[in-house]
Amino acid sequence: MVSEFEDCTEVLRNLYAFHDHELTPAEADEIRHHLLACEGCLDHYDVEAALRMLVRRSCCQSAPESLRLRVRAIYSQTILITELTD
Amino acid sequence: MIGTLGQPVAADVHRRQEHPLGSFVMNLPTKPSETDTGLDESKAERDHRFETEALAYLDQLYGAALRMTRSPSDAEDLVQETFAKAYASFHQFTPGTNLKAWLYRILTNTFINTYRKKQRQPQHSGQEVEDWQLARAEAHTSTGLRSAEMEALDRMPHSAVTDAMNALAPDFRLAVYLADVEGFAYKEIAEIMGTPIGTVMSRLNRGRNQLRANLADFAREHGLIGDSDGE
Repeated sequence: MVSEFEDCTEVLRNLYAFHDHELTPAEADEIRHHLLACEGCLDHYDVEAALRMLVRRSCCQSAPESLRLRVRAIYSQTILITELTD
Repeated sequence: MIGTLGQPVAADVHRRQEHPLGSFVMNLPTKPSETDTGLDESKAERDHRFETEALAYLDQLYGAALRMTRSPSDAEDLVQETFAKAYASFHQFTPGTNLKAWLYRILTNTFINTYRKKQRQPQHSGQEVEDWQLARAEAHTSTGLRSAEMEALDRMPHSAVTDAMNALAPDFRLAVYLADVEGFAYKEIAEIMGTPIGTVMSRLNRGRNQLRANLADFAREHGLIGDSDGE
């Protein structure tokens, strides 16, 4: 059915914004309603959710301890100067 | 003694109306101004607040800097410079507003103004990638992945994801990082990147499509998922 296909197109076009919580509550409700009824779009939704988790997990990196010390030195040096001048 | 530390004498700072670098990035002053000491917060208190509130974002800013510069040593320099600027203007930061977004804005400006110029290496021209990617997106088979195959992606090495990120054009990469990893709202990304929201959405769309297609290709090439379209 043409109208249903139109719906899916619209849903998929807004899938990123839906995941990003950037739609209005009414729009988000419409998409949720559609996802409950449409397995194809729900599958796209699940894939997108999994990819987001993958990207987030892979990009978490702790700063090296040496950098933390360098950043701390920015203001500990200033503290030292204040103490000297006081 | 004090002079050997290379710090200007207090009186100098006082007289200097504007630091030459003042117009460089968002009018960030490079030294705390004299008037600060008269405010309700002592320097020691402010330093403590900087330590507990701003330094808490060190790991996140480093992660972002790594994606921006694609080089650990450049990322460290960029983050250090960012914190130096943030510290110098921390007295101007309004408590209760979004500190994380504020720090990211300084990071992004510093990157654009210094590192990107330095890094002028040829990027992917982008055009052909974008075009086929757009075509792919319009066909609604942007990745060809099915949810049943997603478990396989747990076996995807982190390096594959960071490589795919690094392959994106810088503006796309940053927009995707800020949205997907940091969870910033479009409006915040627009402020951080200094662009209209429409531009953010377009960068996100194209960057994400490209990233997801690259990840799907990697998964197929490495046999993590089935070769569904025979290519």
